[in-house]
Amino acid sequence: MGVLTSEARAWAETEFPPYEFVVGRTDIARFARATGETDPIHFDPEAARAAGHTDVVAPTMFPYVIRMHASSLEGEITEDGSPGGDVPPLPTTRAMAGETEISFGPPIVAGDTITVTKRVADLYEKEGRSGALVFVEMEFTFTNQRDEMVAREVFTRIYR
Amino acid sequence: MPTRSVTPSEVDLFMFSASAWLLHRIHYDRPFTVDHDGHPELLIHGPLQGVYLVQTAEAWLGDDATLEAISYRHLSPAYLGDTLECGGRVVTVDDDGVDLELSATKRDGTVTTTGRARMTWRN
Repeated sequence: MGVLTSEARAWAETEFPPYEFVVGRTDIARFARATGETDPIHFDPEAARAAGHTDVVAPTMFPYVIRMHASSLEGEITEDGSPGGDVPPLPTTRAMAGETEISFGPPIVAGDTITVTKRVADLYEKEGRSGALVFVEMEFTFTNQRDEMVAREVFTRIYR
Repeated sequence: MPTRSVTPSEVDLFMFSASAWLLHRIHYDRPFTVDHDGHPELLIHGPLQGVYLVQTAEAWLGDDATLEAISYRHLSPAYLGDTLECGGRVVTVDDDGVDLELSATKRDGTVTTTGRARMTWRN
């Protein structure tokens, strides 16, 4: 044990600046297309308005797009393509996606400005079959321009 | 609940990475994925499997209920070429909504992703 150095624990106190994502129709259409959505409310403003929305509606999991942009548009990119700012200083950089928990608020529509804030909610290690496993829990909150929380996610990444 | 079968192609993997600005090489760079990370093939993104679980729940109940929360975790890697059967079952139903158990399973029976969802009835 002892992979978690004081350096890694200090990293867990990092204050990440909030990131603003102005949601465009194209952003929504691209993600909808990539995930096989066919409902016109994601592509056609008229269809979205007919369904009672102000503009095209993002698919439910769109907050993921926002947080990935927040992590990868600026800063260092590591050799494997990970956003450097999200990687704790550890002897290994081999990452696996662990548990994800997301709760949802009002839908995101084109024209919204979504502010995502990020913090390290927890950092701990466990002994796995092939050595130490380090668990990094990141918490993301997504708030729109009316201060409504549109989503909250806790995402665990596992390093081995 | 009805199951949904998906076999994401290389183009699907690329579109998902591109639309999310997800730069991780194990989803598009086969030599890196095989030689550096020791996988047999490109990986189907964990979050894309999360999307499949969400879509499975919404396809079944989306007209009557909205997704309030979902949690999922990945038990085994899913690779390009794998077909994922996405489905689930009702755990509980109450006046406000329904709790679902969801999973994505490969043809050989390996469960790659498992999750739980809470949907609340629309007014």
